[in-house]
Amino acid sequence: MNAPFYKFGLFGDEASLIIAFVIGIGFGFFLERAGFGSGRKLAAQFYFRDLSVLKVMFTAIITAMTGLYLLSRLGFVDLSLVYLVPTFVVPQIVGGLLLGIGFVIGGYCPGTSCVSSVTGSIDGMVYVAGMIVGLAGFAEVYPSMQSYVQMTPMGQITLARLFNLPYGLLVFAVVLMALAAFAAAEWAEKKVTGTSPDPKGSITGGPWRMTPVRILATGLAAAGFVALIAGDPYRGSHASIDTRDLAIRVGKGVDKVQAAQLADWIIQGRNDFKLVDLRSERDFDAYHIPTAQDLPLASLTPDFAAHNDRIILYSGDGTEAAQAWFLLEAQGFKNVYLLDGGLRAWQTIVLFPQKSAGTDPAVFEKQVEVAKYFGGAPREEGTSPAASVAVALPKLAAPAQPLIPAGNSSNTQPKKKKEGC
Amino acid sequence: MIALTALTELTLSRHNPLVDPHLHIWEWQIPVYLFFGGLVAGLMIIAGVRLIALRPQQREALVCCTIGPLMGLAFLSLGMFTLFLDLSHRLYVWRLYTTFQITSPMSWGSWILLLVYPALSANALAHLPEAVPSLARRFPILVTVSDAILARVQWVVGIGVANVMVGIALGIYTGILLGTLGARPLWNSAILGPLFLFSGLSTATALLHGILVVTTPDEERPAFADFLLSALAQLTQARPLDKNIAPVLARADNSFLTIELTLIGLFLLGQMTSTGIHQQAASLLLTGPFAAVFWVFVIGLGILLPLVLQSLELNNRIRHTIAPVILVLFGGIALRFILVYAGQQSHWFQPLN
Repeated sequence: MNAPFYKFGLFGDEASLIIAFVIGIGFGFFLERAGFGSGRKLAAQFYFRDLSVLKVMFTAIITAMTGLYLLSRLGFVDLSLVYLVPTFVVPQIVGGLLLGIGFVIGGYCPGTSCVSSVTGSIDGMVYVAGMIVGLAGFAEVYPSMQSYVQMTPMGQITLARLFNLPYGLLVFAVVLMALAAFAAAEWAEKKVTGTSPDPKGSITGGPWRMTPVRILATGLAAAGFVALIAGDPYRGSHASIDTRDLAIRVGKGVDKVQAAQLADWIIQGRNDFKLVDLRSERDFDAYHIPTAQDLPLASLTPDFAAHNDRIILYSGDGTEAAQAWFLLEAQGFKNVYLLDGGLRAWQTIVLFPQKSAGTDPAVFEKQVEVAKYFGGAPREEGTSPAASVAVALPKLAAPAQPLIPAGNSSNTQPKKKKEGC
Repeated sequence: MIALTALTELTLSRHNPLVDPHLHIWEWQIPVYLFFGGLVAGLMIIAGVRLIALRPQQREALVCCTIGPLMGLAFLSLGMFTLFLDLSHRLYVWRLYTTFQITSPMSWGSWILLLVYPALSANALAHLPEAVPSLARRFPILVTVSDAILARVQWVVGIGVANVMVGIALGIYTGILLGTLGARPLWNSAILGPLFLFSGLSTATALLHGILVVTTPDEERPAFADFLLSALAQLTQARPLDKNIAPVLARADNSFLTIELTLIGLFLLGQMTSTGIHQQAASLLLTGPFAAVFWVFVIGLGILLPLVLQSLELNNRIRHTIAPVILVLFGGIALRFILVYAGQQSHWFQPLN
């Protein structure tokens, strides 16, 4: 089984909440045991008296980093499906400074304030209450400062891509940096407090024996070194494709979205999918399904969308869409669907539905509503589909749903579900 | 297929919560009442047992026998008030007491509820002067009543047994009220009777444990509990500390929680091995829209976490705090809310997919 599990549909929303509960209890438990429920201990790091926070957080970073790296090299994790928070340089520096100031003043960061409040300390509860008020305040003023918040965008960037370095080298460098930081932290603690660190939990202090801490540090350094020589964790552009898996999915028909369902999604205003029109620009301008983007086949490069985006393809009769579907599948996109029957099905089913003998009146009534929403109309009984479709496609009057301008930049895309922390 | 399913459901069984306004007949009043009913049942059983097995000078026994029943009277009145709020024809509530229908759980319930008041009051009066001396000084009649009860062993035993019996009846009735409604497959299980009884016992034990914890003059006591419940603490501060009871109650609570967990397991087992309709109803809790709240709030926070915390308390690994108490009480409320709401979404129509 491949990770990330949620993205691959191993479990649904409900199960993910239950798993989040278990992980959250574990996380909170170990934070509390580490003493991070106490504002005094947390604030002590800013006076260089006790740098546990730095050590714990840096350990977490390099553990996750080497772990993710090695697992993806072994083929257990597909890193291209892991969500990266987009970078906005200036706003994030300002935000980081504000968070740091709040941390020094209040003695907590957001996660540890929750830990502190459930252990019953009133300052933790006050901190959490302040955080909620702050969130509400931010949401209120967000529209007026949106342009500032989205200043200096760099997209979903990683250090390795930014500096054009091999990923493995970066992993190794960060591990070394962390180990150096631990040594420096112990030196600073000794300097400030005047006492030597407890040899049990120290890397530099005490007699040279292999304590558990040193074994752990050596292990992380070794994992970092393996990363240095192991190569790129991302799968290259020449990805292979599992033809049997593909055949099974095509056979089951799970690669298709029905026109009526797509119509429902558009009416509901869902924005968790990308609708791609593969026809020429002229055809697109004449008519396209609301919310669609016009993208020719050649522009479907591996980075035209995130690999875990849900993408629905359509073209006039479906040929180009099918070609694009295969192309995207081969490039490692995981949620690519075809509009079943292409634009033609959209016309006959959604825009100009026809009542047949077996149709339930109530079902047909709904179909007529949907057709009207998209500017179409029901067909009379007996008229051939070709004749009425030839009459006229609706003019491109924008329906209630705002259309996305063609060739838009990433900033104006419909708001995606927020992920990450 | 989805549209067709929704449509058939709408036209055949009228079970679409967004369309049919009469689907959700039971709102918050019923789960709140069921919670208070279970809590009072638990308080009664514990009070009855402690009254018979009371040893003098045990502060915890006095809390169980006096403070518990007094709170029980208040909770029962609150619960019956929410039940009253739920009625459509509130002015006709007295008609319930003009008849007794042997096949109607509602009729049983209304008469059981009427028996609870005298039983609980008698239990509370037996030791009221010792538990709250200031009240006895102001109203000497309380001492007379207490002396009259305690002078006759058969009265004490009678009151104790009556409390246990009525408590068991009340606790089981709160579950049977749902369990006998065949129209809702999720509820249609007799296990709900004992399940609600033991859930009520665990919440009652937790509540009494919580009262003992916050009224214990312990320097190490968490400050915020003091802050919240100092008024309650003053009520019984005159009593000497007894170090035995909190562990007894915590141990009892662990047993009740374990039994509750087992009964939930049996309940789901019964549903899952029954007809497709019942399997579908159980899947509302197991994988459906109520799965997250059920597993997190009822099983995780309401049973497993307090079990772990109370086990650590019993092994003297951590102090006795009101943390597990709050979790158990909250879990009891969550169990009833989720069962009542999920039950109303379960129905006899099987979708076509």
